[in-house]
Amino acid sequence: MSEDTTLRMEGILKEFPGVVANDHVDLSVERGEIHGLLGENGAGKSTLMKILYGLYSQDDGEIYLDGERLDLGSPQDAIDAGIGMVHQHFMLIPRLTVAENVVLGEREPAPAFRSDAADSWLPAAVRNNSLVQSLAGQFSLGLDVPEQRIQDLADQYGFDIDVSAKIWELDVGQQQRVEILKALYRDVDLLILDEPTAVLTPTEAERLFDSLERLTDEGLSIIFITHKLTEVDAIVDRVTVLREGQNVGTAEVSSVSRADLAEMMVGREVLFDIDREAVDLGEPVLRAREVEATDNRNIEALSGIDLTVRQGEIVGIAGVSGNGQKELAEVMAGIRDVTAGELVVNGEDITGAKPKTFVDSGVSFVPEDRLQYGCAEDLSVMHNATMKDFRDGRFGDRPFLDYGELREYAETLVEEFDVRGVSDVTETKAGDLSGGNLQKLILAREIYRNPDLLIANQPTRGVDVGAIEFIRETLLEQRKAGTGIILLSEDLDEIFDLSDRILVVYEGEFVYETTPAEADRERIGLEMTGGGETAASPVKSGATQGSES
Amino acid sequence: MVSFIAGLLDATVQAATVLLLAGMGELISERAGVLNLGVEGMMLVGALGGFITTVLTGSHWLGFGVGILLGMVLALVHAFLCITLKSNQVISGVMLTLLGTGLTTFFGSGWVEESISGFPQITFPLVGQYLVGIPVIGEALFRSTATDYLALGLLVVVWYFLYHSNLGLEMIAVGEDPEMADTMGVSVFRLRYLAVLIGGGFAGAAGAHLSLAFSQLWVPGMTAGRGWIAVALVIFAQWRPRRMLVGAYLFGLLDALRIRSQSISLTLGPDAPLAGVINPIVEFLMTPQIMGTYPYLATIIVLVYAVIRTKSDQLAVPSALLQSYSRETD
Repeated sequence: MSEDTTLRMEGILKEFPGVVANDHVDLSVERGEIHGLLGENGAGKSTLMKILYGLYSQDDGEIYLDGERLDLGSPQDAIDAGIGMVHQHFMLIPRLTVAENVVLGEREPAPAFRSDAADSWLPAAVRNNSLVQSLAGQFSLGLDVPEQRIQDLADQYGFDIDVSAKIWELDVGQQQRVEILKALYRDVDLLILDEPTAVLTPTEAERLFDSLERLTDEGLSIIFITHKLTEVDAIVDRVTVLREGQNVGTAEVSSVSRADLAEMMVGREVLFDIDREAVDLGEPVLRAREVEATDNRNIEALSGIDLTVRQGEIVGIAGVSGNGQKELAEVMAGIRDVTAGELVVNGEDITGAKPKTFVDSGVSFVPEDRLQYGCAEDLSVMHNATMKDFRDGRFGDRPFLDYGELREYAETLVEEFDVRGVSDVTETKAGDLSGGNLQKLILAREIYRNPDLLIANQPTRGVDVGAIEFIRETLLEQRKAGTGIILLSEDLDEIFDLSDRILVVYEGEFVYETTPAEADRERIGLEMTGGGETAASPVKSGATQGSES
Repeated sequence: MVSFIAGLLDATVQAATVLLLAGMGELISERAGVLNLGVEGMMLVGALGGFITTVLTGSHWLGFGVGILLGMVLALVHAFLCITLKSNQVISGVMLTLLGTGLTTFFGSGWVEESISGFPQITFPLVGQYLVGIPVIGEALFRSTATDYLALGLLVVVWYFLYHSNLGLEMIAVGEDPEMADTMGVSVFRLRYLAVLIGGGFAGAAGAHLSLAFSQLWVPGMTAGRGWIAVALVIFAQWRPRRMLVGAYLFGLLDALRIRSQSISLTLGPDAPLAGVINPIVEFLMTPQIMGTYPYLATIIVLVYAVIRTKSDQLAVPSALLQSYSRETD
């Protein structure tokens, strides 16, 4: 045991009904390092950290911080021990100010009652009386001194935060810095960050990494939970990999390759290169002509889109987020009205029809936001798995439903698509599945009905390597089965690996078309950011000519 | 006319106090994330308990205290069901209202004939004796029962508590996002219990005020839906204490008008133009039963206005209202 070790977790066991979330996990973190905690969704990373933060209590095992054994009954105990945590979903109250969010629970009394107040009208003897302190801590509130301290901390680490602003006025990156300030305000020595980049743009993530390095320079130790291998390379010193609740090893990042880490995470070799067989293109399944649509604020989001997708073809749509991808996907899936143009699916014009008509015409849709649009969180896996098909007569004679059949169907989906974390399809709620498994469930629902057209918007965003591999393979299989697929992704590698044809969308128009074989990445990058107008766009049959003059 | 308005104002103050007390309790409870639909039942229990105590001991202050206590006892049941057992807040609340109504009707039947000397009308200490002479409003505002003044004083306390104390901040946090509060070392369990108990105490006080100061007698079901108006009042006030003051007096005025609606004649003379059309409408609008719906109509209007005017994430309703919380179930 090195003397630089600050945290030791030994033999941590945590069981939930039917699942062993942490199976005798050991973890040790050294002072001043950024320690990566790597694992697939549902590998037990968050559970382990919630135990360390006192939110869960372990069934077995011990935690030592700087040699002292910790008995954590609540987050307050963890805070007292010098542990801070930035949760994956921000723990901030939008309606309150930055300062109020930061001091919450610290019981900062009114200035006159502060024991360190310089010029209080109260005599020190009264102020330091423990009863007076307790009462003042409960029944008064002073924010001036804390605000100054928060501001000083923010300045020290280069955070641009207005301490009196309300949280809802801040952008996501700023909110995350407030989360870090919450921990710093409590003088933590060990900071846990649970997938901190999941909500950040690449630029914001860069900034976060800079801040974290500054924190470790000051002597803080950081545990950085992630499932992104690139982040491990970018910022982590040592990494511990969890798989199915077990520690499969700790390593210096400099001494292991990305492929090794991926294999440790998933438990088998991960294919970063995908085999894409040639498939003969069939009839067009979708013909969109001159489609226009507006976004939720009624501002034009699509300005004249032409798109043809044929059987067995994957059309990859690349673009910087917010250039109309969401609207494009929703229009093609029939859940957003077009303001102009026409949509022909399988030779039938269904422009302006109800979403159900699209579903019945063989259109499947994997939406970008899984929780909000992809599933009904509080309904069971079974309900979610059968949501699109329960009406088609397979499940009993209408108007009655045969729940036995529904259950069987759902169980088949869960099995074939390897959806983990389902103990009983009628009991487990969709919202309780981890991101990757929920995505597999949604994909299962959309694909098992053998669609003619599949629209997949960011199908692998935020899911772990194992699930990404599975989802990509499933898409390719479906292509072989003759489905036409529209793939929208911000991950260029994904677009390149899967697509037969690549379209670049910029400000609601297709500005460039190419194929993976001929594509020039630099050119695509330029087109995505609107910098490619001067170059002549190649025009292909059945595609678009959208470059602006 | 002057005496009519003075009487109306006096009744307004009395009625407003009931709503103010019950509403403040509901506000605190809801701010911590627990909806209490048992106010009506808690008020009835407080009213009967306070009344019996006063009959037996002759002390209306003791009666008032017992009323508060009984309100808290019923609230404790609500807290246990909703916070410890995490059952549905709406079901628990409605059940407690029905329970309170049933219990007080049964145990209160023998006390209907009794009379008490409840809270007397007193002039406001120190300055009251000079101000009471102000025409029309003087009597109403500065000669009232002690509980009327107490309610106004408590409103200031509640406002200060919520916005200028650590406990208040923690309570708001618990009502907005219990998980967040928990991660900050705030005990969700304790604060919600505290808020619900305070809420029950206020409801009991409102009931005791009703039987000991307002009507000075006991009638089964005497709250007559005021507990529900208190729930509406919290929405009307958009969960803010200061707006609650305005709302309580507005609803109090409507209540006072309703009771007096028979003696008010706002109809036009038979010769006035359109009298044939307007008079039946005015008469309809002045029917006591119709007037009883005005507080709810006002609440609906405020809700609609608030929804139109603000973005949904800025609405004043506590974000975690109706959500129970436990650590290990996510």
